[in-house]
Amino acid sequence: MLDFLLDKKGFFVAATRPKTHGQGRDTERQMSYVRALTCKECAADYPVEPRTVCENDFGPLEVAFDYTAMRGNVTRESIQAGPDSLWRYKDLLPVEGPPRAGLRSGMTPLIRADNLAKKLGVKDLYIKDDSANYPTFSYKDRVVSIALTKALEFGFDTVACASTGNLAHSVAAHAAAAGVRSFVLIPHDLEEGKIVGSLVFGPRMVKIHGNYDDVNRLCSQIADKYNWAIVNVNLRPFYTEGAKTLGFEIAEQLGWQLPKHTVVPVAGGTLLPKVWKGYREFIELGLVKDNQPKMYAAQAQGCSPVVEALRNGRELFKPQKPDTIAKSIAIGNPADGYYVIKIVNDSGGYGAAAQDQEILDAVKLLAQTEGVFTEPAGGTTLACAIKLIESGRIPRDEPICVCITGNGLKTVEAMQGQFADVPIIPAKLNDFDRVVDELAQQPAPGAALTSPLVSVDPPTPRTQPTAATKPATP
Amino acid sequence: MTNTTNTQQKCWLTFEGGHQNEPCLWKMTVEFPDVAFDIRQASVQKDIGIMAVLFTGKEDRVTAAIQYLTNLGVKVDPVEGGDLVAG
Repeated sequence: MLDFLLDKKGFFVAATRPKTHGQGRDTERQMSYVRALTCKECAADYPVEPRTVCENDFGPLEVAFDYTAMRGNVTRESIQAGPDSLWRYKDLLPVEGPPRAGLRSGMTPLIRADNLAKKLGVKDLYIKDDSANYPTFSYKDRVVSIALTKALEFGFDTVACASTGNLAHSVAAHAAAAGVRSFVLIPHDLEEGKIVGSLVFGPRMVKIHGNYDDVNRLCSQIADKYNWAIVNVNLRPFYTEGAKTLGFEIAEQLGWQLPKHTVVPVAGGTLLPKVWKGYREFIELGLVKDNQPKMYAAQAQGCSPVVEALRNGRELFKPQKPDTIAKSIAIGNPADGYYVIKIVNDSGGYGAAAQDQEILDAVKLLAQTEGVFTEPAGGTTLACAIKLIESGRIPRDEPICVCITGNGLKTVEAMQGQFADVPIIPAKLNDFDRVVDELAQQPAPGAALTSPLVSVDPPTPRTQPTAATKPATP
Repeated sequence: MTNTTNTQQKCWLTFEGGHQNEPCLWKMTVEFPDVAFDIRQASVQKDIGIMAVLFTGKEDRVTAAIQYLTNLGVKVDPVEGGDLVAG
């Protein structure tokens, strides 16, 4: 059993490791099950330190765990005895001591979306709603929780990032709560409205003359010279592990089962491979049955290098210049795009891309059927899920999970012009009666999805089409 | 004034739009024989090629060599960079 203490804010935090954990293992490694950092290309091992790429082939490094030692110690019961946050999966995360950040992050709702399912004609549809993540309403609160905790374990006194959106908000907020200095680097010409969401948490913000690539390049140099923790640069192997918790939660909240089909937005390519890794780890530990889950990539049409490669059967993607309303996933040269393509193909999934209007329609559809207001990235994921369903790539009678990764209240400007004018009337009951009659003529809520969703290649039937794979008739 | 400090730079080179069929690195070495390149991994397909390359030389020469490749149409990205999101 885990022992728990109340932290300063009244939340339970794990105080000690399970008593049985680490028996027979050397003292230095008793604190976690981390074995090493391993190159994803050549499998070379490196010590656990702020290091990002392999010296041999520059392949990305990933945290490797000792699953043999975990087996029998990391159980459904040990997880359920943990706190009501992503830290209930601490044994599967690359953290040695107690959590130092994000004590209330994670464990976001998994919504059984019956209204939306009925609308789409599918049987079991779930929305993993990270628009409700804490404290900054996006999935980035997961990865930053781990990165900031690891930064403090490594002894960094400053955390930083180059971002203008969800990542910047999360880094600034978590750093403020942890009492750590933070820096946010942004291009000099960024709109003021995007800056406030970070500045309110009190980071040091620096505007850099140049474009995004210039800022990114500078970040690498800063990490080297100043010995700062740039969460998505020199702490990337640890940061990305936080994304696994999205997959862990889906499985646990589904009653220790995996959805057959998981649709994930793709930006830099962190999330999809890590949700997959989370699924595989639960399977490896015997916590869930291997039902051969399939992973699907969702991108905006205006920035769809991964989906374009999937459609054309290529292992490599061509970088693109982003042009989409879904700015939080607008990465034209995704660092982990290659691995997204590999996992999607290995799992038997596919990819879809959505036009901007389809994205906005899907935002409205989700809001008007399930009461969830997501940012355009979430609209992208849902719009792509619909395309995959309509094309028969995702069967209508198998469990589907759509990952919603950010909150629409952060990007209300994206929805401007999407709604009819709001009537203004005198304060008289007769006028109100008239307006009620007029409004009754308008489409009912939930009828927002108006544009036809097309352009996903239907699957090639292996034999005769079955009820499960046959493209649905509208 | 030139910077004569020795440096090493790890880069991803992306070749597309026909550049995957051109000897871009050879052209670079003709112009910059004092900049060494070490290909650590490469993947070349019909319409795109990607290489992980370590450049070694005097700092200003490495910078100039990388700029030369960029001018040829090769996309050059630092290996150790993060994802910068515009939203």
